[in-house]
Amino acid sequence: MASPGAALLLFLLVASPVADVAPGGAPAAQAAPLVARARASRLAEDPGWLRLGHWRRGLRGLRSEVDGREFFLAKTGKIDPAAELEATIEGLFSPGPFAEELADPFCRFPARVAFLAARLGLDPAALPPRSCPKLDDFLARVRPGGVTLVFSSYYLNNPSSSFGHTLLRLDKAEGALEGKHFELLDYGVDYAATVDTSNAILYAVKGLFGLFKGEFKHYAYYYKVRQYGDFESRDLWEYDLALAPEETQLLARHLWELGGTWFAYWYLDENCSYHVLGALEAAAPRLDLLSHVGRAVVLPSDTVKALYANAGLVRAVHYRPSIRTQFEARARALDALELRTAVELAGRPAAPFPDALAPERRVAVLDAAQDLLDLRHGRKLVMGEDPAAAQLRQALLERRAEIPVPSVALEVPAPEVRRPDQGHGSFRAGLAGGASRAYGGYAALDGRLALHDLADPLRGYPPTAQIEFLPTRLRYYPEHQRLELDDVSLVKVVSLNPVSRWDQRPSWRMRVGATTVRDGGCAGCLAGAIELGGGLGAANLAGPVDLLALGDAELLGSPRLDGIRGAGVRLGLGPSALVRIRAGERAVLLAEARWRYLPFAVPEQTWTVSGTLRLHLARALSLALEARAAPEERDVQAGVLVYR
Amino acid sequence: MRSSLALAIAAVVFAFPAAAQSRAQTESAIKGTGKYGAAGCGLGSMAFGDTPGAVQILAATTNGLFGTQTFGITTGTSNCGPGLFAMGTKNFVEANREALAKDISRGEGEAIGALTVINACGDSHKVGAALQKNFKTIFPSESASNDDVTRAILETLHGDQSLGCGKS
Repeated sequence: MASPGAALLLFLLVASPVADVAPGGAPAAQAAPLVARARASRLAEDPGWLRLGHWRRGLRGLRSEVDGREFFLAKTGKIDPAAELEATIEGLFSPGPFAEELADPFCRFPARVAFLAARLGLDPAALPPRSCPKLDDFLARVRPGGVTLVFSSYYLNNPSSSFGHTLLRLDKAEGALEGKHFELLDYGVDYAATVDTSNAILYAVKGLFGLFKGEFKHYAYYYKVRQYGDFESRDLWEYDLALAPEETQLLARHLWELGGTWFAYWYLDENCSYHVLGALEAAAPRLDLLSHVGRAVVLPSDTVKALYANAGLVRAVHYRPSIRTQFEARARALDALELRTAVELAGRPAAPFPDALAPERRVAVLDAAQDLLDLRHGRKLVMGEDPAAAQLRQALLERRAEIPVPSVALEVPAPEVRRPDQGHGSFRAGLAGGASRAYGGYAALDGRLALHDLADPLRGYPPTAQIEFLPTRLRYYPEHQRLELDDVSLVKVVSLNPVSRWDQRPSWRMRVGATTVRDGGCAGCLAGAIELGGGLGAANLAGPVDLLALGDAELLGSPRLDGIRGAGVRLGLGPSALVRIRAGERAVLLAEARWRYLPFAVPEQTWTVSGTLRLHLARALSLALEARAAPEERDVQAGVLVYR
Repeated sequence: MRSSLALAIAAVVFAFPAAAQSRAQTESAIKGTGKYGAAGCGLGSMAFGDTPGAVQILAATTNGLFGTQTFGITTGTSNCGPGLFAMGTKNFVEANREALAKDISRGEGEAIGALTVINACGDSHKVGAALQKNFKTIFPSESASNDDVTRAILETLHGDQSLGCGKS
């Protein structure tokens, strides 16, 4: 920090100032010189102040994103940073008494106090004496020595976190032992909506339109490790930030300020990721984070990319493997017989070891068996819902404890190709030219708000998952002057869970949207579509081949559709198969075939076969070749895709 | 208008399964026995009594973008860290029981490291070995109460001078 006030700021922050000199004179008179100085130096326009109050310039001028009334001391504080600045200065000189600690601006706004001390020469010793036991208690518990931004990876089984989640971890200054930092004892802080409805429709509408209250909350970090790593089997990526000590201190104090108020929670943009970055920016005005995330949708993965837009901000990246990843790593270290024994033990803890298995190998086998058991039954064990599994586990743990050999700490190297900061941009746009048998040449326009499909560059994303928000494909046929919405999905998910001997979870896909029908049902008409499928998947066959076989149910609706008994609704039932062949990181070939039986409709069946070849030239640029066949259509097209 | 209607409809459909879960969260999270009051470690001790695993359930259900918790920073009831011995250990056991049992059976692991710090012990390897030796005393059965587990851990740590744990 080059700022001349930095040393004073640091002193004030660390010394936890409590004034002991009783001031004389009226508060307004004492505040007046500082207010005058603030006006003269136009301090209210300082980026540091604007960020502490979360004022942003929008269509209606400057407004604070904070919606809680208690965050503002001035009546017009939400829209007037200068009035708020002056009210803060005056409030600090108010002798009280205050109804409670949090009514005292000095205890309520410690980050503002630090800012004013550093930038305006406010001397806390000159303020009326007061004590802030709750604030002191908070700071004593958190004892921030460092800051880490944590990204918990994509979790398709819960829609609200399928894009991932970000939170902050305040790393304790001490607590290190044997050269290690014990993260389990740190505090996590995140921003989340306070859900106050059990109605699904209300829940979604409120989330989208900012009707939930979003609040900053803190908790022991181990809750998140247990939840994400063990319960949901999501890997965590931890980005240690290079913040100066005074920035870290200011962040803790600013989080305290935010902890006592609320924002309107917007699912798409002003969400967990957005406000976590906003808090970081407020603590370190030198950083430029929010300008690097999308305007319409802010995704957790955007936040980690925004970190890298500030050179030197990320000090180190750590990877915390989930229980699934841990088990897979342990399984890889076993030979075939040992692995078979581990699988056996996970179901029958008393199973005998093969002859001549050395104690260290028994340890490795038992440790793998424990992780497998937790992977299979972890949820029910934690919920206390499966007494039989709990007994199994107890027996297995007892058996392990009988061997007085400590396990070797499991080291799972971070899979660099999955690092979320290295993924392609989630917004995609494409332009292509093609030819169709039905309508001749066409131009195709492709757009997608987020996030990733199975043919996109794999780096930075889960290898077998697709989740898309508003993928849209338009076509224009100049010969017929026909503009066509080829296909659009509000949301589209494919979850390919590779089947293995210890993991038999089904794969599934779903999508909601609309598509142009390409068969005799109504050639060329646009129909609303809901599609749901379940089946089995396999990955890494012969190295680069992934397979998915599904049974699908599809509902199409259009007034022009010759559907069930002539109605405009048509049900389609049948199998589909998907094959993906990867050629390193540079090329992906995706082929798909579907057949559908259409009960009581005309025609009685339909089908589609399609293929996509993508060549990934750079992180943000790919070439795409596509071909498709359906009863009433054959087309091919070639074009470019841009990610950002 | 921040979000188009299309997006709204998308999320309505998309968020449907999540809502059922959020209901469970809301209902479970607001119960609050307050049993451990201001000394609790994290939100679990606010919201639940001594049901084994209950604390972990709460941790597990506060999820994703729509997490639900009952208190913010200002109410500050969390307390975890070095030197808290009994209360710190109990709180830690409540929330980390499954992971801790596994680490103790292995005589090694992150949870043992954390216990070593909470109890101001000298060497996590020695602590791990001592806890592993006493596994069946600490976890005599899968249904042992958190209180009993905590007591047995504290006795193991503070009863053995060679571990160099702080006095509780």
